[in-house]
Amino acid sequence: MTVEAKSVPVPVIVASEEMQAVRRRALRRQRLNRGMIYVVAIALAIWIILPIYLIGSMALSSPAGVRTYPKAIFPFTDISFDTMSFFLQSEGILPGVINSIVVALITLVLSTLIAAPAGYAISRYIFPGRDFYRLAILGVRAFPVIVLAVPLAVLFIRLGLFDQVHSVALMHTALTLPTTVLVIGSVFASIPYELEEAAMVHGATPLQAFRRVIVPLVLPGIAASAIFTFVMSWNEVFAASILTLENRTLPAQVLNALNKSSPEFQFAGGFFMLIPSLIFIFFIRRYLFNMWGQVTK
Amino acid sequence: MNRKRRNWTPYLLLLPSIIYLALFFAWPMARALSLAFWKEDARLSLRTDASFTSPTAGSLPQAATVAILDTQGNRIAAGTETSAITEVWYRMSAADAEGAAVEGWVLGDRVRVDEESDGVPTLGRIRAVRRSGADPQTSVYVEPGSTRGEVAARLDAQTEVNILESATLEVWYQISGVDENGQTLEGWAQSAYITRGEQDPSSGFIQRGDSAEWTLDFIRTMLSDRFFTSALLTTLLITLITIPIQFVVALIMALVIQARLKGNLLFLYIFSIPLGVSELAVGIVFFLIFTERGYLNSFLQGLGLIDHTITFISADTRPWIIIAVVLAEVWRATSIVMVILVSGLQAVPTELLEAAELFGAGFQQRIRHVILPLLKPSIQVALILRTILAFQVFAVVMAISGGDIVTTLARETFRWYSDEIRNPNMAAAYAGLIMLISIITAIFYLRAVRTQQELAA
Amino acid sequence: MAEIVIENAVKKFGNFFAVNNVSLTINDQEFMVLLGPSGCGKTTLLRSIAGLGMLDSGRIMIGGRDVTYMPPRERNLAMVFQSYAIFPHMTVYDNVAFGLKMRKVDPTETKRRVQQAAELLHIEKMLDRYPSRMSGGQRQRVAVARAIAVQSEVLLMDEPLSNLDALLRLEMRAELKRLLAELKVTTIYVTHDQIEAMSMGDRIAVMRDGIIQQVDKPNAVYDTPADRFVGGFIGNPPMNFIEGQVSAQNGSVNVHIGDFAITPPEGIVPALKPFEGQSVIIGIRAENIETFTKPTDNAMKVQVLVVEPLGSQNLLTIKIGTSIVKVATHPDFPAAPDGDIWLRFPIDKVRWLHRDSQKALAPV
Repeated sequence: MTVEAKSVPVPVIVASEEMQAVRRRALRRQRLNRGMIYVVAIALAIWIILPIYLIGSMALSSPAGVRTYPKAIFPFTDISFDTMSFFLQSEGILPGVINSIVVALITLVLSTLIAAPAGYAISRYIFPGRDFYRLAILGVRAFPVIVLAVPLAVLFIRLGLFDQVHSVALMHTALTLPTTVLVIGSVFASIPYELEEAAMVHGATPLQAFRRVIVPLVLPGIAASAIFTFVMSWNEVFAASILTLENRTLPAQVLNALNKSSPEFQFAGGFFMLIPSLIFIFFIRRYLFNMWGQVTK
Repeated sequence: MNRKRRNWTPYLLLLPSIIYLALFFAWPMARALSLAFWKEDARLSLRTDASFTSPTAGSLPQAATVAILDTQGNRIAAGTETSAITEVWYRMSAADAEGAAVEGWVLGDRVRVDEESDGVPTLGRIRAVRRSGADPQTSVYVEPGSTRGEVAARLDAQTEVNILESATLEVWYQISGVDENGQTLEGWAQSAYITRGEQDPSSGFIQRGDSAEWTLDFIRTMLSDRFFTSALLTTLLITLITIPIQFVVALIMALVIQARLKGNLLFLYIFSIPLGVSELAVGIVFFLIFTERGYLNSFLQGLGLIDHTITFISADTRPWIIIAVVLAEVWRATSIVMVILVSGLQAVPTELLEAAELFGAGFQQRIRHVILPLLKPSIQVALILRTILAFQVFAVVMAISGGDIVTTLARETFRWYSDEIRNPNMAAAYAGLIMLISIITAIFYLRAVRTQQELAA
Repeated sequence: MAEIVIENAVKKFGNFFAVNNVSLTINDQEFMVLLGPSGCGKTTLLRSIAGLGMLDSGRIMIGGRDVTYMPPRERNLAMVFQSYAIFPHMTVYDNVAFGLKMRKVDPTETKRRVQQAAELLHIEKMLDRYPSRMSGGQRQRVAVARAIAVQSEVLLMDEPLSNLDALLRLEMRAELKRLLAELKVTTIYVTHDQIEAMSMGDRIAVMRDGIIQQVDKPNAVYDTPADRFVGGFIGNPPMNFIEGQVSAQNGSVNVHIGDFAITPPEGIVPALKPFEGQSVIIGIRAENIETFTKPTDNAMKVQVLVVEPLGSQNLLTIKIGTSIVKVATHPDFPAAPDGDIWLRFPIDKVRWLHRDSQKALAPV
C-alpha cells in the first residue's frame, strides 16, 4: 500500500440511506430513552421531595394556616414562624432538644472512639477471627434492636441509671457501633498501607506515620461516619422512649405528646426533627456508598 | 489488608468494641430472652415451721389464694438485717379501765411513743382505732408475736403505758392453699410474700413467690392477648407489601443513577434524603397527608374528584391506615435499598453488560440474566436488613394511627413497657417474638438467595 | 462471505477525533490485526464495528450488508473482551452457551456446539465449573469458546492476551493462530504488542492518532514501513533513522552522512532528486547493517558506545552524527566499547523518508 499525503481531501463515503434512517431511529430511540429516564428520575425526585415540602409549608405557616381546609396546593403563601415557635415553647421541647443533642454527641464520641481502632484493625491486619468478627458485626447490625431496650431499661433501673441522658447514649452507642465499625473500616481500607510504609521509610515512627499521614486522609471519612452516627441517634425513638421518663429526648417527647397535642405541635415537631438530617445527608452524600457498599463485600 | 504479621495488636484494637457489644448487646439479648421465659417470683415455698432453717413442706404458685391459719413472730436481735416484714412489740405495764394493773405484750403499731431515753421508748399511749366496725379496744398478749395468742388484758384507747421492753419480730403466717395438682398444702411462710384480705384477715393470696421458675405464662398471655393476632398479622402484612414495592422502586432508582444523567449527583442526593429522616417525622408527614383535613383530601377535592372529605384514619378504615403506613415505609426506607443496589451495580463491570449485548441479549434479558444474578449478594443483604427493620415498624404506626387501631409487634412491645403497665416480661416476650421471626427470615433468605461466593466456595 | 468494509469512519469524543476518517477493507476469512500504541483509536474502531459505539460518520459493511448503526446483536458477530467478560454467576457451560441461548438455538444443537467449542479450547472437562475458580488462562479459553460457539462469520478480539503472563501469552498466541486458521472466520484482532501482530496477522493495520498509517502483510510492514512512526513502532530494536544530505554530481545522486556517501539504488533516484541540497532520512534496521572489524569498501568508520549481549546476537549502540544507531551483530563479532568498527548499509534494505512529513519516498 502506498501512502498518500494526509491533507488530500477524500470523497466522504457515508452510510446508505437505509442505514442513515436506522441511525436516526437509533438516535431518536436513545434520546427518547434518555428522556424517559429523566422523566422517571424527576418523578422519583418529586415523590421524595413532596412530603418534605408539604410538612415544611405547614410548619412555616401560621397556626391558623395549619388548621385551614382545604389546604392550598401551592403552600408557602403566608410564611410565619408562629407555629415553629409555639412548638419550641411547648413544655419539654427545649429540654428535649438539649437532651437529644447531648445524647447524640455522647453517642458520636463513644461510638467513634470505640469503632475507630476496630475499623483500623479489620482494614489493616489479617488475623484469625477477622472474618468472624466482620460477620458478627454484620449480624449485630441486622438485629432487631428494640429487643435490647427492655432488658437494658430493667438493668438501668437496678443500677439507678434509668431516665438519664447518658444511659440513652449507652444504648444508642450499641445501636450505631456496628455501622460505625464497618464504615470506618472501609475508610481506612481506601487508604493504601503503602502510604504509611512510605512515611516510615522516610523516618517516621509508626505513630507519627499514622498521625501525620493517615489521620489527615481519613478525617473526612470519619467525620462523615460521625455525622451519620449523630443522625441515627437523633432519630431514634423507641429505645429513647423506653429508657426515659422525665429526661426525654426530642423524639421521645414528641411521641409521648403525640396523642394529646394539636396539629401545629405535630407538624412543627415533624419538620423540626427532619431538618438536621436534610443538612447532614447533604454533607455526607459522597460517603454513603462507603457506608452501605461495604456490606456486600 | 496488607500487614500479614501475626500479633496481638488487632485483637487489642478490637477489644473495646467486643467488650462494649458484649455488655450492651449480647447481655441484653440473652436477658431479653430470659425475661420472657423466667418468672423470678413464680413460687412460694412453705416451711414446716416458721423458720428458714426448717424443711420445706412444698410450694404454692404465685397468686394462689390461701387461708391464713396462724401468725407467729420470731424475735430477732435488734439491728439484724432481714428480708421479712418485721413487727415491733412492746412489753408494757399499765392500768386498765377498772384500774387493775396490767402487764403484757402489745403490738408496736398500737402504741404512740411519747417519751424515749437514749432512743429506747419509755412512755406511750394506746392509739385510737379509727376504722369503723373494728375492735375499739387493744389486746394485751401474754406472749409477743401472735395476735391469736392468749390475751392478758384489754385496754382502751389513750391509756398511758410504761414501755418496759421492746422486741423486733419476724412475722410468719401459717397458710394453707391448693397447688396446681389439686393438693392441699399447709405450712409457714413469711408475711412479706402474702397479701392479707382487707375484709377477711383470715384469708389472702400469695403476692409473690420466693423462687424463680421457667414459665410459658408470658408467652401464653401474649398469645391470648387481644392485640396479639392483629399485631402479628399487621406486621407481616406491612412487611409483605412494603418490601417488593421497595425493591422495584429501589432498582429503578439504581438504574436511573447508573444511567449517569446530567445532574446525577443531585438525583443521588435527593434519593438518599430519606436515609437520614426520622421514622417519627415520616409518620407525622404521612399523617398530615392522610388526615381528614390533610393534603390528600384537599387535593382530591381541589380536582373535584370528591364532594366530601374522606375519613382515611379511623377505626373503620384500617385498610387506609395500612396503605398510609406502607407508603410512609416505602418513602422512608427505599433509599437504603437503593444505595446498596447502586454500590452493587457499580461493581458490575460494563464489559459484562457489553458482552451480553453483543451476544444477543436485549435490555430485559440483560437485567434478567446478568444484572439481577450479579446483584444477588447486594439484594440478599438489602432484603435481610429491610425485612428485619420492617418487623420493627413502630413510630410510623404511632404517628399515623395513634397505635391502637393498627398495631404492630413493636408497638405492643412498647405498650407493655409504657408508663401505665411497665411489664418487662411481656415486653420481652414480644421483643423475643420479633427476634424469632427476624432470625427465621434471615435464614430463609440466606438459603433462598444463594450467592455465587457460596457456590464458588 | 463476510468481508468487512470500513469507509471514512469518524468517531469523536467531544473535540477529540478517536477515529479520524478511517477506511479499511478486511477480506473474507482474513486475520487482520489493528496495531498501535494505547490511545490510537484501535479499540474505538473495533467497538464501532461491534456496535458498542456509534460512528459519527462513515459506513461499515459486513458481508455486503450496511451495519453502521445496527445494534450489536443484529450484526451477527462475536467478540473476545480484554478482561474476558466471563459471567461470574454462570458455569463454563452456561457462559459458552450464552450467545446460543440468546439466539434461541435449539437445546440439542446448543449442546453440540458448546461441546465442540469446549473441545477446541480444551476446556471440555471444566464445563460445570464456575469461572471464579479458574486461572486467567482458563478464563481466556472460556471467553474464546463463547465467541466461537455462536459460529458467526466475524470474530472481534480486543487485546485478548494482554492480561496473561508472558509464558502463557506465548502459548495462547500459537494456539489461537492455529484455531482461527481452522475456523476460517474473518477476524479483527486489536493489540499494542507488535510481536503478537507480526506473528499472528495475515495483514497488519498500524494506527496512530485515529489514522491508519499503513496496512500490509507483516513482513512488508516490517521491511518497508510507510513512515518513521511505523518503522519505529514495529521491530525491536526499532528501525534506525539517520539524517543524510542529498547531493547530485554529474547526474549521479549521493546521500552523505558526514563524510561518508551512500549511493542510492536506481529506482529511488528520481524521488530523491528534488531534495538536492536538502536532507532526507535514511531508515535501516539494526540487523541489516553489515559490520566489519577493519576498513572495507563503502563502509563507514564508527566508534562503539555500548555493547549489549543478548544471547542470540549482540546489540551495539553507535553514534553517527547526532543520531543514535543500534546495530545487531553475531555474538562472536568482536566489538568493545570505545573500539572502532566499520559499517556498511546494504542499499536495497534502506528506506528513504521525507525529512518533514517523515513518510517514505515512494520508488517511481
